[in-house]
Amino acid sequence: MTDDLIVARGLGKSFGATRALDDVSFSVKPGRIVGLIGPNGAGKTTALKALLGLTRFEGALSVLGLDPYRQRHRLMQDVCFIADVAVLPRWIRVRQLIEFVAATHPKFRREVCEHFLARSDIKRGSRVKELSKGMVTQLHLALVMAIDARLLVLDEPTLGLDILMRKQFYETLLNEYFDEQRTILVTTHQVEEVEHILTDLLFIDRGRIVLDAAMDEVQEKYAQVAVRPEHVAAARTHQPLAERQGLGRTHMLFRDTPRADLERLGEVGVPSVADLFVAVIQGARA
Amino acid sequence: MDTNWNDSLPIYRQLRDRVVAMILEGVLNDGDPLPSVRSVAAEYRLNPLTVLKGYQQLVDEQLVEKRRGRGMFVTEGARRALLKDERQHFLEEEWPRIAGRIQRLGFEPKELLEHLDKIPPEPAPSLKGAPEPDAAEGDERD
Repeated sequence: MTDDLIVARGLGKSFGATRALDDVSFSVKPGRIVGLIGPNGAGKTTALKALLGLTRFEGALSVLGLDPYRQRHRLMQDVCFIADVAVLPRWIRVRQLIEFVAATHPKFRREVCEHFLARSDIKRGSRVKELSKGMVTQLHLALVMAIDARLLVLDEPTLGLDILMRKQFYETLLNEYFDEQRTILVTTHQVEEVEHILTDLLFIDRGRIVLDAAMDEVQEKYAQVAVRPEHVAAARTHQPLAERQGLGRTHMLFRDTPRADLERLGEVGVPSVADLFVAVIQGARA
Repeated sequence: MDTNWNDSLPIYRQLRDRVVAMILEGVLNDGDPLPSVRSVAAEYRLNPLTVLKGYQQLVDEQLVEKRRGRGMFVTEGARRALLKDERQHFLEEEWPRIAGRIQRLGFEPKELLEHLDKIPPEPAPSLKGAPEPDAAEGDERD
């Protein structure tokens, strides 16, 4: 037995001739914030749909110890979800929406929702279509965070929000929602804004997991070096995963190369998730 | 998105250094509580494990102590211990470099002392209130 919250083994899914998911295996422990990161069409949304029981799949998948497709109803009591196409009915009033969720979700805590809304400019009598895009997201987040769930799935949660709203979104999430009993799975293109929030990385490309690592591991294994011109040839003998020309320096990404060797080549730093992502995806496709 | 961190050191390490600077500057005094992990995580949008790791490092160095159920506090004598280390570090590592540079540039001690008055004070280190990025910046989407 493990205490893993999600266990996927050999997950597969085809749409016609396209393999959207191909032998995907990974697991997620409680209390983690996992970034599922991949280019468009990599299989992120299909993977999330499988986890949420919204699609059939090949292979074995357990979420909170349940089969998401067969036991979706039970699963949904402990999982909440914000989709990139976050749709709330345009005609509904905020007050009605709260009533609806309160009536349908057993773990909805109305007072928590009211607490979040009290800090926004959202009026109870407004219809969704009268709210700004930022307000709709705030409303959605208030509804979802008020659900006492163990797993929160966020699919491109900040798409279309300005930078202040995005900042506020993650600040609220960390301050008022996340704790060691809860787990968050997030997909986003905005890698920079989540990279320090994540505890774990899952890179997916062409339906396959190409990197599965805790952030701690990433920081130990990988290093970004600003290589001085005279050391470029020597640096290449350590087989960098990626190379990019900078101002008077060549930036190279190394894996499992002893730090002492790297320090002779130039300034050693921690690679950004974006740099790592580009290198790993290129490597996987080569 | 943040100008708070540089990429030369892991963030937990930079967080540790920032708390150390706050203790040295007297922003945090012996016995003062550290801001909660949650509030620092939210403020900087860091995962709480990173903050915990930074704090744990301070605990390992006996600069900070955990008080059950109440959070983290600056250890009695932390500032004195740090100051001792820092002074030693300065004399052994930094001062020889600076002294060498002063010599190469041909400064007289008198000149440097006179110039001291013109140096503006440094802002005190803190765990909050970093300047906000411009709202219009980095608003690209795809």
